[in-house]
Amino acid sequence: MSKLFEIALGVITGIGGFLEAGSLTTAAQAGAAFGYQLIWAIAVGTVCIAFLVEMAGRLAAVSRHALPDAMRERFGIRFFLLPLAAVALVSFLVLASEIGGVTLALEFATGISHRWWAIPTALSIWLLLWKGTFGMVEKGTSMLGLVTLAFVVAALTLHPHPAEVARGLVPRGPTHDAARYWFTAVSIVGASVSPYLFYFYSAGAVEDQWDEGYLTINRITAGVGMTFGGAVAVAALVCAALVLHPQGIQVDRFEQIPFLLTSPLARAGFWLFVGALFIACFGAALEIALQLAYLVAQGFGWRWGENLQPREAARFALVYTVVIPLAALVILSGIDPLKLTVISMALTALSLPVTVVPLLILMNDPQYLNEHTNGWVSNVAVLAVSAIACLVALVALPLEILGS
Amino acid sequence: MTPPSGVRLERLLGRLVRDHLGVSVGRIEDVVAEPAGDAYRVTHVLVGPDGRLAQLFAAGYQLPTLRALGLGRKPRIRRLPWSWLELSDPDRPRLRAEVA
Amino acid sequence: MLIGRDILDQQVVDRAGRLMGKVDGVVLGPPEGEDARIAGIVIGGTTLLWRIHRGLARWAERKLGGEGRATFVPWAKVTKIGIDIKVDVDAPRTRAFHWENWVRDHLIGRIPGA
Repeated sequence: MSKLFEIALGVITGIGGFLEAGSLTTAAQAGAAFGYQLIWAIAVGTVCIAFLVEMAGRLAAVSRHALPDAMRERFGIRFFLLPLAAVALVSFLVLASEIGGVTLALEFATGISHRWWAIPTALSIWLLLWKGTFGMVEKGTSMLGLVTLAFVVAALTLHPHPAEVARGLVPRGPTHDAARYWFTAVSIVGASVSPYLFYFYSAGAVEDQWDEGYLTINRITAGVGMTFGGAVAVAALVCAALVLHPQGIQVDRFEQIPFLLTSPLARAGFWLFVGALFIACFGAALEIALQLAYLVAQGFGWRWGENLQPREAARFALVYTVVIPLAALVILSGIDPLKLTVISMALTALSLPVTVVPLLILMNDPQYLNEHTNGWVSNVAVLAVSAIACLVALVALPLEILGS
Repeated sequence: MTPPSGVRLERLLGRLVRDHLGVSVGRIEDVVAEPAGDAYRVTHVLVGPDGRLAQLFAAGYQLPTLRALGLGRKPRIRRLPWSWLELSDPDRPRLRAEVA
Repeated sequence: MLIGRDILDQQVVDRAGRLMGKVDGVVLGPPEGEDARIAGIVIGGTTLLWRIHRGLARWAERKLGGEGRATFVPWAKVTKIGIDIKVDVDAPRTRAFHWENWVRDHLIGRIPGA
């Protein structure tokens, strides 16, 4: 019974935790600009992150190492510093995006400019990490995150044609605006395959003391959880496709995104949107800040643990205590949260080979995984997506920056 | 306790080993130690390829997918007795003349 | 056993199960010949810098007049080599915990609710 409960919890975490600033924004932009055409990008990203999350969990369960710990050991400090820097930088930008998302939700709710909300938001995030336990963060985020199912409800009330939606699953080239199409596709993949997702999952597996008995739970959680999560992102895209696309409205200002829910669900939709945006981004911010602390502490062998009092793991606590206000400063500085989010997603895609290949090497090392090393499907799928996403980002990112 | 004097393994890794004539033999990959009572005796040094290309292929070798694509080659690693090493200058390890 | 693969960069755990740091360095002594042995492991200090950038390490040691707060654990104190390296030492009493204690006393500990 307990194992069934764990699976249910894991799946709920996948659903509730999937949508955040990046996946919501990129899905909205994709739906508004290209209708159903980019659903395949969400599918590709979802499949890739499902594989990566499963791997991170398997690594923790079999080797009893968290990912940064195993990476330092396997590659030595020199070749650990590169992925460390890449993941840290990308995660920091995404953290700032999530804080931006929370502040936007508060601006929608109160009318007070989002920049004023940066500091209170940062303080709340920090306080929850300071006083909370890992279980609180993990379960609270996933349970409350179920409010993002509002997008599924809204999408259904808009009566999409299942056949047309299904056609969007087939990868194809753009019918117009190629540069924007590929940039959006790559941002979607970056949003889905954010490193913080599988790093945090790995830390969680160690905090929860998984062992080899958890391998099946891990596979189900990763597969089913991520798939359902991806479905929520598709729902957001469908909303944008049916609400904004027919009117030719592109999402280039954040004020346009609430329409996704207000159009089908009227007043209730507005408050559901505010709630969903707030919870999804707040939860993601908690996870990313924690993940950054794990990354540094585990890489350098310091005491770590969210269940410990801060004074018992002082350097670990210092990392998130420093990183959260710095990320808030980015929002305070007035950078457009929408642009920040979209660029962070593209940068994530660009950095995928650096952040993903070390994990792949570990997953093929019998010293860490014994007989549970990767099959060829996981290897090829993840390697292919990372390589292609990086190459496309290499071309699309400069074009987008030059274009705007 | 402050560290005593002695050769630091971590500073040896990756360093180029030359023979007594100055010809490059390869780079130090790792060091083998065997238990001897309570202590561990250092017995061998593993020397791998010198060239950057060979190192790149060795890295590619670690991923089965890249191996299958021909982008990885198993590096040639030589196992030399530790006593062959002369470490008067730890930054420039050399093989003793008698060994040639 | 390969020292680089199995000892270097591994997690060090003290006698009470506390995480003490990573093995940043391994001392071989006497270093040469038939009698070469592992003398012990080094945690912290400038040790790590030597593998990142030697020039930086040399500069740091000049400034600090030594290896900083590097902690040496003699091999005799190493009790187990496996997933972690277990050592028969009290981590908070060593210099390996110097920065952890400093951050606790001067930064984190000063914030209410720590």
